[in-house]
This record gives sequence, C-alpha cells and structure tokens, in this order.
Amino acid sequence: MPIFHSDDFKRAALGGALLIAALIPQIASATLGQPEITVQTDVARSHAAIKSSEDRSSYRVHEIQLPSGTVMREFVAPNGNVFAVAWQGPTRPDLRQALGQYFDAYSSASRSKLSDRRHVQIRQGDLVLQSGGHMRALSGRAYLLSAIPSGVNIGELH
Amino acid sequence: MASVHALRFGLLGVLCVSAAACGGGGGGGGGGASGGGPPPTNNTTSVIVDAGPLNMSVNTLFTSVTVCVPGSTTSCQTIDHIQVDTGSYGLRILASVLTLTLPVETLANGNSLAECTQFVDGFSWGPVAAADIQIAGETAHSLPVQVIGDSRFTNIPAGCSGTGGTEEDTVSAFGANGILGIGPFELDCGDCDTVATHGLYYACATSCTETAVPNNLQVPNPVTHFDADNNGAIVVLPAVAAGGASDVMGSLIFGIDTQSDNASGSQTVLTVNDNAELLMTFNGQPLANSFIDSGSNGIYFNDPSIATCPAPPGDPSSQIVNFYCPTSTLNLEVSIQGMNGAMANSVTFEVGNAETMLQSSFDAFPQLAGTIPPGNAGSFDYGLPFFYGKRVAVAVQGATTTAGTGPYIAF
Repeated sequence: MPIFHSDDFKRAALGGALLIAALIPQIASATLGQPEITVQTDVARSHAAIKSSEDRSSYRVHEIQLPSGTVMREFVAPNGNVFAVAWQGPTRPDLRQALGQYFDAYSSASRSKLSDRRHVQIRQGDLVLQSGGHMRALSGRAYLLSAIPSGVNIGELH
Repeated sequence: MASVHALRFGLLGVLCVSAAACGGGGGGGGGGASGGGPPPTNNTTSVIVDAGPLNMSVNTLFTSVTVCVPGSTTSCQTIDHIQVDTGSYGLRILASVLTLTLPVETLANGNSLAECTQFVDGFSWGPVAAADIQIAGETAHSLPVQVIGDSRFTNIPAGCSGTGGTEEDTVSAFGANGILGIGPFELDCGDCDTVATHGLYYACATSCTETAVPNNLQVPNPVTHFDADNNGAIVVLPAVAAGGASDVMGSLIFGIDTQSDNASGSQTVLTVNDNAELLMTFNGQPLANSFIDSGSNGIYFNDPSIATCPAPPGDPSSQIVNFYCPTSTLNLEVSIQGMNGAMANSVTFEVGNAETMLQSSFDAFPQLAGTIPPGNAGSFDYGLPFFYGKRVAVAVQGATTTAGTGPYIAF
C-alpha cells in the first residue's frame, strides 16, 4: 500500500485540479484501474461535466454530471489510479468506458433461478460490482479490492 | 414436468381470434349499479406466481395481456406470462412471442423510435410500436409499447449496450414473455421530452442516436391510458405457506375507488417520492432509498448478523451467496414511512433458508431474502413477499382516490 506524504498529495491534487480545469467541460469519464488522465478519453460522447472534485483524507473524488441527470463519482487513489466508480440516476452512464477491462464482468451473470431485474452483485477476482435500484432510479458501484487505499471505508464509495 | 408446465401455460395462454373473445380471467367487477346505465367494466384479471416460461422463476408474478394491431378487432393475440411489475412503467413484449406486426412509432422528423430499457441486470433493445391492448375488460388504444428483440432493429447502439449488464432480447434471457410495468408514475422517464437521456430513447434512420421524445410517444404505464379505471391498480395475493407453494393465484384489479370492488377502505396510504421510494427503518437505520416492488423476487436488505448462503461446490460465482441462509427462521420487522408522514409501524416478516427453498419444487417463497447493493442512502427492497396475504394498491401520480392523491402505495 503506497503511503504518501500530505504535501505530495496536495501537489498531486493541485496538478490534477489544473488538468481537470483544462479539460472542462469535455471530461466525461475515467476508467477503473487506469490513471486519472483517462478522463480525457470519453469526451464528446456524453457531454458531461465535472461538478466537483474533492480531496478526502486518502483519496480524491470527482463528481461528474450527465445532462440527463445521472451522477457518476470516480475515486482516485494517491497513486493516481481510479480505484472505484459509482453511479446514480435515471439511467446508467457509459460503463463500457468507466469500467474498461472490467466491463464484461457485468454481463457475466447468466439468468438463474434467483435472478430478478433489480440486483446484481458480482465478485470476480479483484473486482466487486454491485448494481441496484429500479426503473427511473438506478445506482451501483464497482471497485478493485487491492487498489483501495488504506483507511477507506467501502461504505463511503457511493 | 413438461405436462405440468404445459398445463400452466394452458391456464393463461389463450389465443384469441378477436379482442371481444379475450375477456381475461378472474372475478368480475362487482356491479351494484342501481337503475339503468351500462354495466361496469370488468376490471379484474387473474395473476399467478409460477415458474414462468423458463420453468425456473421464483416469486415472479405473471398475467396475460391481449394485444391488437391498432384499430383491428381481428388481428389480436393474447400473450401469457407477462410479468406484473409495480417497479417499472410500460408494456414490453418479446418479439419472439408476438405473431402480429405492430406499426413502429415515428418522430416528427420521420425517424423510427426505439428504446433501450435499462433494468439493473441488463438492457432490452427494440422499437416503440403502437398497439391496442386489452386486459380484463379494460382497453387502451394506440398505446406505445416496446417490442423487445425485434428483427427489424438488430443493431444495438454502443451507447445502449454500454450501460452494462446482459442483453435481454430473448425469452430465455428475459425470463418472461414480456413485462407490464404498473408503477406509480405514467412514464418510464422523468424528463425525456426535453433531454436526450443517456442510453434510453433512440431516433433511428440508417443508424440510431439518442433523442428526446414527446411524452405521448414514450412508453407509458398502460393503466394510465385505459378508457376507465385508470388511476391505479391493486394486486391481491393470498398468504403463502412459510415453506413455499406452487402456482399461487391472485387478482389484478384496475382502478381505485372507481367501482365497488376496488374501494380503498381504511388502507394505510404511503406517498412515494419522485423515485417511487419510501423511507424504511430497519434495525434502527433509516433507509431513504427503500421501495415496495412486485418485480423484486425477495426481501432485500443488509443485516450482517444473518448468515449468507455458502457457494455450492464447484460454483463459486453462484448468486446464492447473496441470499440469507439462517439455521432457523428469523422473525424481523421493518417500519415504513411515506412522504406524507404516514407510517406503517413494525411490519413483520420472516427470513428463511434460501438454500432449503431452492431444493424444493415450489416457486413462491414468502421467506426468501438476500443482501442488497448499497444504494445512495441505503435501501430496503421489499419485493413480492410483501404482497402475499395483502391487497396492495398503487395509485399513479396525480390520481385522486378517496384515500389520497398519487403517487402512493396503500395496503
């Protein structure tokens, strides 16, 4: 687990903030497990904007607002990688972009006796993906167990 | 087994030559009309909890719906095993069970309208088409419905599939022949008339792009478009034995306080918020994203003190690990508060061993419970077990009944 000094973190945070400022309003989405800079990739498609970026004690969270009301939060570890993504709103955001190489895990659960249309909880190696809610109010999150900075309560990741 | 299944189908599946011949089952709307005038509309159809078209569903409520080409009384078809869902909005039918060709809705610019319906476990893609529909004696004309998996619309936009989960465009992937969304709002989207919502409605010409859609073309809760009894619906199911049962039958009654058989009486009315949610309190924790929902197949909540089920040997990814497996039945309670401040205090429920249930041949389990993905402010999802032994009314937004104004859930 990388430990960092708060000065380093502040510097990194400042750099990140400047980078973000340069990208607004095109920033749409970063990718789980990838560096924060991947925020550039999905730009034009969803016309999203960063609503806020907040440094918490052991990570930074970007709140990204889609025009149609969905809010996505992306959690960046001190090493600069996205370790969690959460969403909430009338429809899900572009998860192919936000989950990257982990996207296919979402469709890995085939219909079984216990399936309904309201709950998905997948644990696949390092990945935890949880999706819930109902029509007009969908929510969920995905995170990488090994990438969660020490001291983070997963209950905060929503 | 096959013959039993065929019998179940026979129960609900009737092919009708004309709409008039397709009255639907169930008891009639009690008349009590004094004097002359037309008899009241038959507002009641039968519903059943059975194993569904895949012979594997649990706690899933089905009914039959008659669909006609708009304006026709002969090009009609009754489709069984349409899931009854108070947690969604709109009628959606799998193209593979549809023998009719329904006209696709077109936008003002001439483009065809299609939809990517997002459920939590995946998405269903297909055009929005117009149909006349009939359930019991209730009728809706030129109703926008979604035809899922239509061979005329095979290219799923990347923005649709990119919302994640499984593509559910066949009966085997969807687990039903269709779905009847009768939740407490009219439309399946809050502001799609002004905003091109991500991954939802699409305008299709040579390719499909996200689009805003006038409200009258969006896929609505069909009840709101009935000629009569259009302010809500009531689900009535019998109590189910603790260990489970098969083929539990009940009624779906349309309208609230519109006829003598759908009176509110002294029901507790809980107004829901803009997301059709209520405030439930469980184990002292307020859970603001809670909901009552016939489309959830269990009671979903988080209680770390209850043991979850072990993964079966050789199947570490089994979903059963997300369900509860207490060694003996637990008696628990939850309080439910509406946005109107009304409370249903200490609603009791039981949690049984999901592993034991799945070893039985039953398909209705009042004690099936599992963990829930943590919502933004915490959720308690009280699914179909809530409806067993109750009469649950769902009033749509703006509807006025003797008991209150929708959107609400009453029981």
